Amino acid sequence: MSTTTQAPKALRGVGNWIDDRFHLAKTGEKNLRKVFPNHWSFMLGEIALYSFIILLVTGVFLTLWFNPSMAHTTYEGSYQRLNGVEMSEAYASTLRIDFDVRGGFLVRQIHHWAALIFVASLVVHMLRVFFTGAFRKPREINWLIGVGIFTLAMLEGLFGYSLPDDLPSGMGVRILQGVMLSLPVIGTYVSMFLFGGEFPGEDIIPRLYMLHILLIPGILLALIVAHFMILWHQKHTQYPGTGRSEKKVVGTPMFPGFAIKAGGFFFFVFAVIVALSAFVQINPIHLFGPFTPTAITSGLQPDWYMGFMEGSLRIFPNWLDFQIFGYAVPIGVLVPGLVIPGLIFGGLAAWPFLEQWITGDKRAHNVADRPRNAPVRTAVGVAGVVFYGILWLAGANDILSHTFSISLYWTTYFFRVAAIAGPIIGFIVAKRICLGLQRRDRETLEHGYESGTIQQLPSGEFIEVHKESSQETVHVLESKAAVDRIDDEAIASVEESESDGVEAPAARGLKGKLRAKLAHWYTKDNVSFEGVEAHTGHHLHHGAGHEEHEEMAGSH
Amino acid sequence: MKWITARRRHPLAGYVVVLLALAVFGVGYALVAPSADRAEAQVMAAAQTGAEPAGGETVDIAQGRDIWERSCASCHGLNGAGSDNAPDITGAGGAAVDFQVSTGRMPSSNPDAQMPRKEPAWDREEIDNLIAYYEQEIGQGAGPAVPEEPPGDEPVRSDYEDEDAYEEAKASYDEAYDAYINGASDTQAGMQLYLANCAHCHSWSGAGGGLTGGHWAPQITDATPRQLYEAMLTGPGQMPVFTEGTVTPDDKQELISYVKTLQAEPNAGGIFDLNRVGQVAEGFIAWTVGLTLIIACAIWITAKQRAHD
Ligand code: HEC
Ligand code: HEC
Ligand code: HEM
Repeated sequence: MSTTTQAPKALRGVGNWIDDRFHLAKTGEKNLRKVFPNHWSFMLGEIALYSFIILLVTGVFLTLWFNPSMAHTTYEGSYQRLNGVEMSEAYASTLRIDFDVRGGFLVRQIHHWAALIFVASLVVHMLRVFFTGAFRKPREINWLIGVGIFTLAMLEGLFGYSLPDDLPSGMGVRILQGVMLSLPVIGTYVSMFLFGGEFPGEDIIPRLYMLHILLIPGILLALIVAHFMILWHQKHTQYPGTGRSEKKVVGTPMFPGFAIKAGGFFFFVFAVIVALSAFVQINPIHLFGPFTPTAITSGLQPDWYMGFMEGSLRIFPNWLDFQIFGYAVPIGVLVPGLVIPGLIFGGLAAWPFLEQWITGDKRAHNVADRPRNAPVRTAVGVAGVVFYGILWLAGANDILSHTFSISLYWTTYFFRVAAIAGPIIGFIVAKRICLGLQRRDRETLEHGYESGTIQQLPSGEFIEVHKESSQETVHVLESKAAVDRIDDEAIASVEESESDGVEAPAARGLKGKLRAKLAHWYTKDNVSFEGVEAHTGHHLHHGAGHEEHEEMAGSH
Repeated sequence: MKWITARRRHPLAGYVVVLLALAVFGVGYALVAPSADRAEAQVMAAAQTGAEPAGGETVDIAQGRDIWERSCASCHGLNGAGSDNAPDITGAGGAAVDFQVSTGRMPSSNPDAQMPRKEPAWDREEIDNLIAYYEQEIGQGAGPAVPEEPPGDEPVRSDYEDEDAYEEAKASYDEAYDAYINGASDTQAGMQLYLANCAHCHSWSGAGGGLTGGHWAPQITDATPRQLYEAMLTGPGQMPVFTEGTVTPDDKQELISYVKTLQAEPNAGGIFDLNRVGQVAEGFIAWTVGLTLIIACAIWITAKQRAHD
């Protein structure tokens, strides 16, 4: 592992030739030598990039044949079963893509599988950034851009799903309209505006089409470019380890090492998506049939990334709806359809700033946190994941109920309770696990690792021999800040006010007090590594010191 | 052994052990657990020992009475007027008896629970005898009779003495089946009738769905055209009745044709159709197969660090 590399001779020749003419060496060398940390979790964002590229290419292919029109037509085409059925041009042209355009069916399926993988990779990428604290200064802007990409990607998928005008499309659009209508006062206007009249009207598909192929992909592309430019400028974070510091990045240089890996990885992503598309049927619009407003069916869901909204609509009770001046305020739609998603995305966007405010940590961070070393953040993240996961499952409650022969009502009650209790349990469990891991880390740091070798001492006592950890491990373990409260001023103020009753300036006022309390909550349980030095523990050299052991665990 | 000893402290060792254990339990359970098919097969075997070979033209009302008294009267009463356990079926009609018995729902094994579809306890001739007895003694013409036009059960080889007789019966059955299904030509009408009246319980594909109170709308893909027709006529369990007035016989034929044609439709999108469960299954596969494979690849390509990196 070195931080520099020497390009092969042949390449250097070509490089010099180009450089004599374009003088690219300065910028070029800097960029080609750019170092990428070697860890799989840094590749998650790339999955998103590659599937987005696949979406762009296949999407352009689809636009060549797709006709975004709601004009009525009677189908006469290669798909026998639906001959003579009335449908919209949009649906008919999607059937044409499936059955008359060479390769059309495959491309449609690639487009759809890539969409599912795209949003899934955004989620895992985002979780990686969250749990390692990679959103901290100086990367807050990129985090915000990420939240934007995620939100738009969901909308993009929803609108794309609505285009073919098949049965699930229509049902999805109807739910969308229902949520819009729940907006107090402006609901009906918004709906009339978007649909150009009553549901479903003739305008909605052309409008969604414009959003789906032009506006949202354009914004997404711009955001993705900005995301990468900022990343390029700031460089990746890296996990702690030997030679890695806030100032120095260790990894594979952009060229040739990383470029080859990334290129190969693109083809792998592409291969997986195409293999799925070739063998696994997705969104069989020809089986669903065209949307008709009288149709209602069970067993249809939105794509997975809208599942949490579906779930929140399904389990939210309707007891809270009320009327005011004759206008219905459907809390049962408004809250689960808009407020809860708003809270999830708003919370995601606000978290870096909230955390910064609580901890008072305004320093720049280039070394990623190990999730266990930020137990409250990790626990909040887990609580969020559990909440999202429960809503997501609830969105499939009819399928779960039928597949596992569980009563439908029972799933609803279960998910209602779980949506509240689950995150709390998740929080507590995750935090306990983090603290346990911290304790183990401290022990490993002090005493080395358990070698698995049992020795009998002359006194007859059996001990397990501890061995010194590798240099790398020690560096990783030492990356944990000895004391976690970074904001000395806030601590001082809390301590002062506790000792002499005089409030320090930072802790004054309601906001100051709240903040001091939150800061305390955020760090109070952390295992202190203060004064811990690698391999200074006693039982490295002689017998097991149980008393000492217990005393340490109880000393905080 | 050495191989294992060397790796048992590997960070992934724990996961491997858990996965192995899960696999062992899964396979073990699948082998040990009584399968529904096998259980039914035993019932069948028991039921069939007394069966006569098919082909008899005349109805044997005495046999019908015998079946009624031994297998139905305990719950429905000798005269069909019902009991604490079971409803009055004097007005249910021959169609209801045929539906309930030919789908294996009756005789019920638990009057408090919805019965799943299973192999019928008797063969076609015996069921016909039971229906004849019912019509003559219990229903006395009340309620809908068995609809004759939509084709019923496919001929079963064991009911026929020789291969030729079976082939012949099968050929004429297939002809009647195709004639009935193809006799409906208005896909649009069938589709709209199905999607407006049935799909909210049985789902768009006929795969079924959950209902409230521990009930469920079953998968309807095993039902014969006649059973579909009878289900609509008699409204079993939680299902509403669709009389000949609300959905005319022609409309019923369109609807049945739509259901059967959709079911027979090949899966143009790939060999794995995910049981037509749709988006939930797709999302599951995207995460567990798609994304998992891709991440495994990411782990693989970043794991090997060569010295000259
Ligand atoms: C263990 C008790 C039990 C036995 C034995 C039994 N049934 Fe039933 N039967 C029921 C119950 C309970 C229902 C109501 C089921 C429901 O509503 O889902 C029912 C419903 C029916 C119906 C439908 C009534 C309607 O209104 O649609 C018919 C027809 C019927 N049984 C016929 C029979 C016949 C014929 C037999 C003998 C082969 C039989 N049953 C044996 C308990 C029984
Ligand atoms: C309210 C929901 C509901 C609706 C609407 C409904 N069904 Fe049913 N259906 C059921 C239930 C519940 C059963 C199972 C009854 C039982 O076992 O007692 C059933 C059973 C059936 C069966 C028997 C399946 C088998 O193979 O065992 C068929 C066929 C059927 N329905 C067809 C239809 C058709 C056709 C329509 C539309 C005209 C329809 N159903 C509408 C709830 C419904
Ligand atoms: C973030 C990117 C994108 C996502 C998540 C996405 C998602 C989807 C989805 C889920 C569908 C429904 C497919 C189906 O019927 O099975 C769809 C349809 C469609 N998309 Fe996209 N898409 C994206 C980008 C694009 C782009 C960039 C274009 C064009 C330039 C495009 C063009 C189309 C067209 C024409 C259809 C309708 C044809 C059809 O349904 O088969 N998409 N999209």
